[in-house]
Amino acid sequence: MTPTAITNIVYGLAALGAIAVYLAMPGAGPRRKTPAVLIGLAAVAWLLMLLARMSRGSAGDAVIFSILTLLSLVGSVRVVTHPRPVYSALYFVLVALASVGLIVMAGAEFLGAALVIVYAGAILVTYVFVIMLAQQSPAAQDAVSGGPLDYDGVAREPALATVAGFTLMAAVGSLIARPLPEVETAGDAAQAGDAIGNTVRLGAVLLTRYAVAVELAGVLLLVAIIGAIAMARRPVEPEPGWSPGSEEPPAGEIGRTVRPF
Amino acid sequence: MVTPQSLMLIGAVLFFLGVIGFLTRRNLIIMFLSTEVMFQGVLLNLVGMGLLHRNLEGQVFGLFVLVIAAVEAGLGLAIVVMLFRRKGTLDAEAWSALQG
Repeated sequence: MTPTAITNIVYGLAALGAIAVYLAMPGAGPRRKTPAVLIGLAAVAWLLMLLARMSRGSAGDAVIFSILTLLSLVGSVRVVTHPRPVYSALYFVLVALASVGLIVMAGAEFLGAALVIVYAGAILVTYVFVIMLAQQSPAAQDAVSGGPLDYDGVAREPALATVAGFTLMAAVGSLIARPLPEVETAGDAAQAGDAIGNTVRLGAVLLTRYAVAVELAGVLLLVAIIGAIAMARRPVEPEPGWSPGSEEPPAGEIGRTVRPF
Repeated sequence: MVTPQSLMLIGAVLFFLGVIGFLTRRNLIIMFLSTEVMFQGVLLNLVGMGLLHRNLEGQVFGLFVLVIAAVEAGLGLAIVVMLFRRKGTLDAEAWSALQG
C-alpha cells in the first residue's frame, strides 16, 4: 500500500470510531446504543484487518493478538462511556489485562507481571475504595429515573471532544502506520530468542545502568506516601449547604440504605 | 509475532480514547480512570519502541511510567477524597469557580 492509501484508511477508521464513540456517550438514551455497537465493531474489524496486514507470524498468534486488541479497545471505550464509576473501574481491569497480554506477546514478561500486580491489583483496589468512600447518598440519585446521577449520565461536550480526539488519533495513527524506516538495533542484544530470560536481562540493566533512577523512583514513592497521608489526615470543612450524613443515619444504624452499584 | 507498528497503533488508540474520556466525563473518578487508560497507551508505545530497536530501554521506561502511575493514582485519589468531603459531590463542574 502506498503511504497515501494508508493515511486515507486511517482517517476513515478514525471517522467511523468517532461516530461510534459519540453515539455511545452517556446521555444518549438506549436507542443509540445499537448503532453505536454496530459501527464500533465495524471500525474495530477494519482496524484488525489493517493490523493483520502489518503483522507476520503464525495464524494462532494473529488470532490471540486480535482477541486481545478487541478486548482492550472495547474495554477502553466502555471505561470512558459507562455511566457508573464502578463498572468503569471493572472495564479498566479488562483493559489492563488485555494490554498486559499484548505486552507479554511482545516479549516483556517482567513488565507484564508488574503491570498485573500494580494496575489490576493495587491501583484498581484504591479506585474501588475511593468510589465507595465517595458514594453519594440515595437522596442524591436522579429522582426521575432512579438511574445514575446527572453528572455521570450526561457527557460534557461529547461532539467536540470526540472530533478533536479522533482527529489527533488519525494524525498520529497515519504517521505510525507508514512503513517504518530502518533503525539502529544495537543495544542490549535481542529481546527474545536466547537462553537468558527477559527478567534476568531487565534486572541486570535496571541495577547497573539505571541504578540511580531506581533509587530516585523509590524516593518518589516515599514522598508520595507522605504526601497522601498528610492530605488525608487534614480535616476538611464541608461547605455550607452540605453536611455529611445529614440525609441518612450513620453507618450501622437501622434504616440506612446503600445504593447498589 | 507482534510488530512494533501494531503495538504503537493500539497504544495511540488507547491514548486518545483516554483523552476523549478525560474531556467528556464530569465525574472526577472517571476522569482519573481515563488518565490511567492514557498510561496504558503510553506503556504499549514504549514496549513497541523497545521492540523496534531490539533493546530493553522501552521496558525500563515502562517500569518508571508504572511508578509514576502509582504515585499519580495515590495522590490524585487523595485529592478527590478531599474535594468530595468539602462539597459532597464528585461533579467536576462543582469546582468551576476555579476557572477564574
